[in-house]
Amino acid sequence: MTEIQAAAVSAINVEMTFGTFKAVKDASFELQNGKFLTILGPSGSGKTTLLRLIAGFLTPSSGEILINGRSVRAVAANKRSIGMVFQKLALFPHMTAAENVAFPLKMRRFDARTIPDRVAQYLKLVRLDGFENRRIHELSGGQQQRVAIARALVFEPDLLLLDEPLAALDRKLREEMQLEFRRIQKELGVTTINVTHDQREALVVSDQVIVMNDGEIQQNAAPTQMYRMPSNPFVANFIGVTNDLSGILTRVTSADATARFGNVELMGVHGGAVALEDGTPIKGAIRAEQIRIASAEQSMAGLDADFRGTVLDAIFEGERHVYEVEVPELGGESLKIIHHDRNDQSALEPGALVHIGWKNRDLQIFPAKQ
Amino acid sequence: MRRYKTSYPISWRFMDVLEAAFALVLPRGGGRLTPYLLLTPAVLLVGTLAVGLLYIGDSSLRVLDRSTFLFSDYWTLENYQRAFSESFTATIIWRSLVGAVIVTAVTLLLAFPYAYVMVRTSSALLRKFLLVALFLPFFIGQVVRAYGWLIILGNQGIVNDALALVGVEPLRLLFNYPAVLFGLVQYMLPFGVLMLAPALTAIPEDIEAAATSLGANWVRALFHVVLPMARPGLIGAGVVVLTLSLTDFAMPAILGGGSQDFVANAIYDQFFRTSDQGFGASLTLILIAVGSMTVGLIFAVFGAGTLALGANRK
Repeated sequence: MTEIQAAAVSAINVEMTFGTFKAVKDASFELQNGKFLTILGPSGSGKTTLLRLIAGFLTPSSGEILINGRSVRAVAANKRSIGMVFQKLALFPHMTAAENVAFPLKMRRFDARTIPDRVAQYLKLVRLDGFENRRIHELSGGQQQRVAIARALVFEPDLLLLDEPLAALDRKLREEMQLEFRRIQKELGVTTINVTHDQREALVVSDQVIVMNDGEIQQNAAPTQMYRMPSNPFVANFIGVTNDLSGILTRVTSADATARFGNVELMGVHGGAVALEDGTPIKGAIRAEQIRIASAEQSMAGLDADFRGTVLDAIFEGERHVYEVEVPELGGESLKIIHHDRNDQSALEPGALVHIGWKNRDLQIFPAKQ
Repeated sequence: MRRYKTSYPISWRFMDVLEAAFALVLPRGGGRLTPYLLLTPAVLLVGTLAVGLLYIGDSSLRVLDRSTFLFSDYWTLENYQRAFSESFTATIIWRSLVGAVIVTAVTLLLAFPYAYVMVRTSSALLRKFLLVALFLPFFIGQVVRAYGWLIILGNQGIVNDALALVGVEPLRLLFNYPAVLFGLVQYMLPFGVLMLAPALTAIPEDIEAAATSLGANWVRALFHVVLPMARPGLIGAGVVVLTLSLTDFAMPAILGGGSQDFVANAIYDQFFRTSDQGFGASLTLILIAVGSMTVGLIFAVFGAGTLALGANRK
C-alpha cells in the first residue's frame, strides 16, 4: 500500500483583491516537501502578496492555501509553523544576536532549559558562533542576514519564506548569501519559498521556479526547463538577455515552425501547447548567448542560420563581450549577442563586418498575442 | 512662459530673492562665522532668561521687613529656612510632584494607543480625524478649557443636571485633587501623543509582522518588541509631560479653586498677592531644583530617549 503524501504547500485558485486591484489572479501551484521554490517576477507582479498570503499576514479573497494538506485559512499568522526572513530583515534592534534567535523559542514556549543550546546550535549553523552578544547594529550586513536566517529556522518550522532578503546587498555578498541559503536549506531539508526579482538568483538556488507577471503565474517549472523552454515571450525576456523578432508564420508541424522575418525564412521550435496557424503574426525569441559571432573572414561550422552583419556597439564586461549587431537580412533589426571569449581572440570593434548564426533549436516561436 | 514655469518653480525664485537679501547682509557669503551668527538671537533669548535667574537668586537671599516693606540689603538664608520649616512648602511640593507623576503615567497610558492607531491605521480618514481631534484643543487654550470643565462639572453643571434627572444628589466634582489631575491629563494628552507618534513611526511595520511570524500574539509583541523599541519616545514624552505638569498654574488655580495649589500657584501668590518677592524667589529656585533632579533621575535610570537627539540613540 502506498501512502500519498500531501504537498508541503499547495495554492488552489488563490485570488487577492485590494479594492478594485487584483494583486494575485487565480494562482495555483504545488510544492513538494523539502524543495526550494523561487517566485520570480518584476516589482508589482504580485509575488510578495502571494508570499504574505502564505505567511498569513493576508487572507485570500478566494481560493485556498494548504500547508501539509490542511487549509490554513483559519490559522492565524502566529500559529502557523512558518519562519520568515523579511526584505529589511526586521531584526529586533534592542536585542543581541542570541536574543533575536531565542525570541521565537520563547514565544513558542520551548522549555527554557533547552533554549541556550538550541540558539548556540543555530548560530553555529549560520557560522555566527562568537557573535552571540553583539547588538544588531554592531553586525555587518551579511552577519545580520545570518541572524535573520537563524531566527527564522531555530524553531524548526515546516516552511521557510524568504521575502527578497538579498535585494539590498552588493553583488558579491548577494551571490555568497545565495549559496549560503542553498547550503542551509539542503542541510536542514526545510521546504522553502523565496521571492525575488533577480533571475540569476532564481536559477542558482531553486528546485522549482514560478514566474509571475501582473498577478498571474506565467510559468511553473524547474530552472533548466524554464531557461530552455520558456512558455511565453514574457518568461523568455525575463530570464536571460533575449532578442525579440517579429514575423509571420509560414509553416508549422508538431515539432517545429517556420516563419518569415524580414527577407528570410527561419526555422524554430515551439512549445506545442499553443495552436499556431499559418499566416499569423508570431514572436521569435533567441537568447543573446546562443547567437555565435565571428569576424567576416572566419568561418563557423554547425550553424543552421548564418547572417552577415555590422557591429554597432561593443561592451566589454570582463568575462564576456556584449555586442549589438545590425543584420540587414532580418529587416534591419539589431541583435544583442553575448560572446564568451575563451580563446582570448581580439575583440570586435564597432563598424566591424561580422557573421553571426544560431541553431534552429535555439529560436523559440510564440504566438504574437496571448 | 509655461515651460519656464515648470522648469523653474516659483519657490526657486523666492529663494533667489532670499539669497540676494542674505548677500546684502553678509557680503561674500559670511564665511565660517555664519552658523554662529544665525545662532545668536536664540542664545540671547536663553541668555536673558539665565540673567533673570541670577536676579531671582539674588532676591531669594533678601528677606522682607514686614514693618517697612523693604528688602534687606544683606544676603541671608532666612527665606530658605522658612520654606523648609513650614509644612505648607512640603505640602505643595509633594502635591505637585505626586500630581505630575500620576498625570504623566495616565497620559502615557492614554497617549500610547492613540498615537499607535494614528500611526498604524490604514484608513486616511481615521488618521485625519485623530489628528484634528488632537490639534483642536491647542486652538482653544488652557484657561478656556479649564472654564469649560467648570461648566461641565460644576454643581449646576451638565453632569450634575444629568445625575439629578435620575435622582442622584449633586456630587462635588470640582475643587478637589482628582479634578485638577483630570484637567491636567486632558491638557497633556496632545503633548504626549505628539511626542510618541514619531517614535512609533520609526518602528517598521515589518518588525511587528516578524514578531507575529515568530509566534508572538499581539500582547507579547507589544511587551517584547513594540514597547522596548518605543522607549526613547516614551521617555521623551514622559519628561515633557512631567515638567509641564509639575510647573502648571492654570489647572490647579481654576479646577482646584485655591484649595489644591501647586508650587507655581504659591509662587504667584508670593509675587503678586503678599508681595514677598524674596520668599517667592526661593520657592522658584526650589521648584527648579526639584524639577531638575527629577528629570536627572529619569535620565540616569532610563537614558535621555528622544531628547538625546543625534547622539547615543541606539
